[in-house]
Order: sequence, then C-alpha cells, then structure tokens
Amino acid sequence: MNAISSFFRGPYYIALYTYREGIRRKMLIGFLVLSLLVIFGSSFISSFLDPSAETDIDLKLIKDICVAAISIFGVLITVYISASVVPNEIENKVIYTVLSKPVGRMQYLLGKFMGAQLIIIVNLLLMGGLFFMALYLRQGIMPTLLLWSILLTYFEFLIVSAFTFAISCAATTSLVPIMGGLFVYITGNLTEYLKDVENRASQTTEWLDMIIGKVATGLYAVLPNLQNFSLKTQIVNGQPNDPLLDVFIPSLLLYGSIYGLAGFLCAYVIFWRKEV
Amino acid sequence: MEFLKRFPNLIVIVLLILVLIAGIAMNLRMRHLRESEAYYRWLIAAAVSERLFQDQEEGDQDGVLFSGSVAAARESGIFFDYLDGDSDSEDISLLGRVAKDYQQDWRIWSFARSSYAAEQRQQFLLLAKERKLRFAQDIQYAEAQAGDVNIFNLFFGFRKVAANLVWLEVDRYWHQGNMYRMITLMRTCVALDPHFVEAYIIGSWHLAYNATASMPDTPWPRRDWDPRYQVCLGEKERFYYYAIDFLKDGIRRNPRNYRIYFDLGFALYKQKLEDYANAVKYLAEAIALPHDRWVPRQLFLCQELNGQYEEALQGWKDYMERYPGSMTAVEVAPRFILRNQGLIYEKRAEEFRIQAKQMTDATVSKKFRKQAEENYMLARGIWNELSDPFGEGRKMRMEALDMREEGRYLEALAVLDKARWDTAALWQEFSDLIIEIKKEAGISLSVSEKKAVMRDSEVGICPGMPKEEQERRLHTIEDIKAGL
Repeated sequence: MNAISSFFRGPYYIALYTYREGIRRKMLIGFLVLSLLVIFGSSFISSFLDPSAETDIDLKLIKDICVAAISIFGVLITVYISASVVPNEIENKVIYTVLSKPVGRMQYLLGKFMGAQLIIIVNLLLMGGLFFMALYLRQGIMPTLLLWSILLTYFEFLIVSAFTFAISCAATTSLVPIMGGLFVYITGNLTEYLKDVENRASQTTEWLDMIIGKVATGLYAVLPNLQNFSLKTQIVNGQPNDPLLDVFIPSLLLYGSIYGLAGFLCAYVIFWRKEV
Repeated sequence: MEFLKRFPNLIVIVLLILVLIAGIAMNLRMRHLRESEAYYRWLIAAAVSERLFQDQEEGDQDGVLFSGSVAAARESGIFFDYLDGDSDSEDISLLGRVAKDYQQDWRIWSFARSSYAAEQRQQFLLLAKERKLRFAQDIQYAEAQAGDVNIFNLFFGFRKVAANLVWLEVDRYWHQGNMYRMITLMRTCVALDPHFVEAYIIGSWHLAYNATASMPDTPWPRRDWDPRYQVCLGEKERFYYYAIDFLKDGIRRNPRNYRIYFDLGFALYKQKLEDYANAVKYLAEAIALPHDRWVPRQLFLCQELNGQYEEALQGWKDYMERYPGSMTAVEVAPRFILRNQGLIYEKRAEEFRIQAKQMTDATVSKKFRKQAEENYMLARGIWNELSDPFGEGRKMRMEALDMREEGRYLEALAVLDKARWDTAALWQEFSDLIIEIKKEAGISLSVSEKKAVMRDSEVGICPGMPKEEQERRLHTIEDIKAGL
C-alpha cells in the first residue's frame, strides 16, 4: 500500500503543478471565454425566429449550437493543453530539474497527463455547466441526459488528448503536436472512410489496390473511430426510441479508456528513450 | 523475473500490445453495435410504415428485406409471446405488431443485434450503401459507409447546426412570402437533420395553413387528377397533401415522436380535410407514445366526430381517472361524457327504430319500438341534464325525428331549420337531415340544397382522371339527378 501511495505521490504533485500552470495560460482562457460567449449567445438566437410560432425550435438551436461549441472549443483546448505540457517543460528546461529528483519517467508522464486531464475536465465542466443552465432556464427541468453527453464528450477528448500527448513527447516545441492533435481529431472522425477505401479496393484485381485494401482494413481495425461518439449529439436531442444508451454508454466509456491508455503507453514508449 | 528486471520496459510494450488488441476488440464491438443500431432504426421505421402507410415505391427493397427480417424474428424466439394467433392472413407482420408498442422496442433492439439477424443485417448494410432502402436514407452510419465521405459527414453534430442555419433562412423566406423557395429549403433542412421534428411540424403548418390562407377553394373544372392520392386537386388542395407527405416523411424518420402523429391527425386530417377516420388513426398513434396531457382530448373529440361514441366515452372516463384534479377532468370531461352517452342512446334508439320497421312480426316490432322509446327517454334525460346549446339542438333533432315517424314532415323540417340556426355546431348534420327528410317526403329541394347534394357526392370530374373513374362518377351524377 505504501509503495503504491509513494508511487502516486510524485504524479499527484506534478499534476497539481501542471494544472496550476496550465489554467493560467492566456490562449486557454481565450478559448474558454470564446466558448462561453458562444454558449451564452445561443440563448439569444431565437430572436431571429418568428415569435408567433410557439415551438421548441429555439431549444433545439441552443442544444445544437452548444454541443457544436463544446466540441470545437473543447477539442482546441484539449489539443493545445496536451500538446504543450511536455514540450514547454523541455523548452523551459524545467524537465531537467524535475527528472533529477527521485521521480521516474513514468511518474513524470503520468503527472503531466493527469494535469492535462484535470484542465480539460475543468474546462468541460465550465462549458457544460453553462449549457446546463441555459437549458434549465429554458426548459424548467433538469436536463440530466446532458450529463451523459458531457461525459461521452470527455472520453472522446481523452483519446485525442492521449495521442496528442504521445506526439508531444517526441517533439521539442508545441507547434508540431498541436498540428498532430488536430490531425488525430480529423482523421479519427474520418476512420469510416477507410472502410470505403477497403470496399473500393476490393472491386479491382490490381495488386496495388489489394495492398491498399489490406492496409485500410488493418488501420480500420486498429485506429480509434471518433464517430462512435456521435451518440453525444443523439442523447441531447433524445428520442423515446433509444433503448440503446444502456449498451452504448458503458461500451463507449470502455472504448475511450482503452484508447486513452493506448495513447498514454505510446507516449511512454516514445518518452523513455528521449534524451533529457 | 530476472528477465523482466533486465528489460522493465518490456512490460510496457506487452501492455501496449494487449491494450491495442483490446482496442481492436472494442472497435469490432462498436462496429457491431452501430450496424445493429442502424438496422434497428430501419426495422422500426419499416414496421411502423407497414402498419400505417402500406406504401412501397418502385425500386425500393424495403419490403423484401423486411419480410426476411420478419421470418428471422419468428425463428429467433425473442417474440415468442407475439406468435400466439400469428397467421399469414393478417395484414400486419410480427414485427409490425411488436412495433405497435414502443415499450417493446428493446425486443426489436435485442433481435437487431442478435446472431439471428446477422444475415439480414449484412443485407441491410449492403442495400443501404446502394441506396435501395427508402427508410434508411437518414441513417448516418450506412450513409457514411456509402462512400460519400465528405465535409458533411466529417462531424455529424455540425450538420445539425447547418440545419438550424438553413431553418433561419426558411423563417426569413416565410416573412418575405417566398413560399416556393421555402419548401425547397425546408426539404434541405430535414435532409441535413432528419430528426429536426420542429421543422416537420412548422413546415407542414406553413404548407397547409399559411400557404393556402389567401387562396380560394379551386373549382372542380380547374382541378387536376392526382394519381398518387386518387383525388382531384387544385393548387390550394395540393398544399394540404404536400403537408401530409412532409409529415409522413417525418414519421418514417422519427417513428417514436408523438408530435408528428398529432399534427398529422389534428392539424391536417381533422382541421383541414375533415377526414375523421384518418384523424383518429394518427391521434391514436400519438397517444400510444409518451405524450402531453392535451393530446388525448383531440382523439376523443375526433372519435365523437367519427361516430365512435363508445370509444370516446371510455376515453373521457379514463382521462378523468388519470388526471383527476386537472381543469379538463373537472370542467370539460364530464360534459363530453354526458354528450357521448346521449349520442350513444340516440344511436341505439335509431337502430331499434330501423329494426322495428324491418320486422314483419308485429310483436317483435313493438318490442323494438319500446326499446327505441326507452333509449330516447334516456337521451332526452341527458340532454336536459347537459342544458347547453348542443343538448337543446339534440332535443330538437329528436323532436323532429319523432314528427318524421308520424309523417309530420313539414313540422319536422321547421323544427330542424330552427335548430340549425340555434346550434351552429350541428348546422351540417341538421342540413343533411333536412335534405334526407325532404327526399323521403318527396318535397323538392331548394337550389342551394341541390347544389350541396351534388357537391357532397363524389361528382367531381377533373382533367386527367382515368376513364373508368370518370364513368363511375358520371353514373353517380346521373343517379343523383334522377333522385332529385
């Protein structure tokens, strides 16, 4: 028990420090303020609509705009934070001081990763909280399904964050991992395209097409598919014919955790040979 | 152990490989779940469509796949309690019957992801990719697999935002009076977000109400035969059917949303087309789903208008039990319970009178007459208790019918004429009865009554009508003219 607590003590302090340092970044605050403005502004979008028609369209507008804003700004915050926590330390040379202490590389990385997650969670909670309030004020009932949506959004971000973090471990500046993180998000949403490549490749007998087809099949099986998380939009606009949540939500949480862990392990594999 | 101490990072590598294998397994599971979900949604849409619309467009493979799915469902054992009384002669299939109750959706979901449906699921995906399934057009998963991976498919959530922006444009066109542009954009809007229920509802309202508000009814000679709806339609009437089609499209894509059924039943079939049978059909669907408190009221009203007094009466009684303290239960329901009770007695009395007339045996005929009188008495008691213009009108109607029985036609007509002016809600019914009595008594109809008879009968002939249909209707005209 002592060994476990002493192992996690180092990462805990590093995470706390990473959080304190990260939350003060101007760009992060900028993203957050913008997202909060969009979420807040969505409540006024109904002024563009015909006031004589008594409908729930404005409610739908609020939901869709807020989900989109959380996705866009959330992923920007996720990528920015995950891409910069390690390269910034290398740039500032703080990493040398930390690693010269009795802190293992695994502990260091775990601390940094947990710190980044803490920042992402706090930002997500702020955005989600405002969205929650906007819906509550409009509907008058607790939009509890929204909490599931936010939880799923976090697990989607966990995957993006973990792989961005892995890329950042190979870089010395944060610019490349930021580009890499955005690439992870976009390709993660286009994984379905690989299935299409596989289908098209199987329509010819050319050896090159066959190889491309095999590669696409392999990648389709291994790469995380972020489209699976489109359920988060579905939940918010819930329909009574959705008895699927009990199966989908646990599966998606497990899915996010597995790929999050895979990303973190990749980061460690990259980082352990890095000369710092 | 020694080996692990020498190579500690090997554990991480092995762990990474294991995690990636777990990731592959999860990927496969998610893929299976998403395919099953797409298939499940299609099954519900196809089952509801089979039960409500029973229409099939050429080239669509929905029917074939659905039959295969029903056969697989029958063998799966998941729907064992629905198999009792299952026969081929029934119009509705096993899945159609299960889909009638939304609380059984979990069974369809269980079936959709089970191995029993594996073959149909694969076939579904194949047909969906080839766009041969009518009810699968909105299913995102199959859509993404169909090879149209583009910027719209990149983030499904953003398509909803795009649909909202398009809707703002629809709203702008509405204020500008650009109705035809609006219709196109409305279709774009629901193509972007097929679950945009408000777009269906408001869109159909614009079509059926706002677009036609300043249009006069199209005269028969200016209408065209519409083979799809089997009716003669002018510009104004066509908008009603556009609205119906739009809402039906909404039902196919959102089969578990009561609001679309409600609007189709109430706003279109009841208010616009006065087709109470269809209004009851769709309102009954609406109340079978989770709904708001005001929905059943419209169903009971339509049942009453459709002559289904027993169902309406039972419905009002159930409503009072379910919402005992509500304003409707306290102020409205008791009145409608009395109304329907009175109408049931009247209906029974009239049936007994007809039976009495048909009987050759004087004793039996007398017995029926007595029963008719008893029911009339009961009805009269209720109308007295009701004590409102409707009740007064019904009493006058009964008085007129009594006079008719005694051959006092002119007096009956005078009473009915007064009654229809006193009770506007019963104007049509009393006017029809006046015509009926006049015909029975051999009294000539007035010009406006003759016109009403011609108008109300299926006499409309319009360009493009098939020859057989034209001949059938022309015969009807001849018959009516002969009758007049």
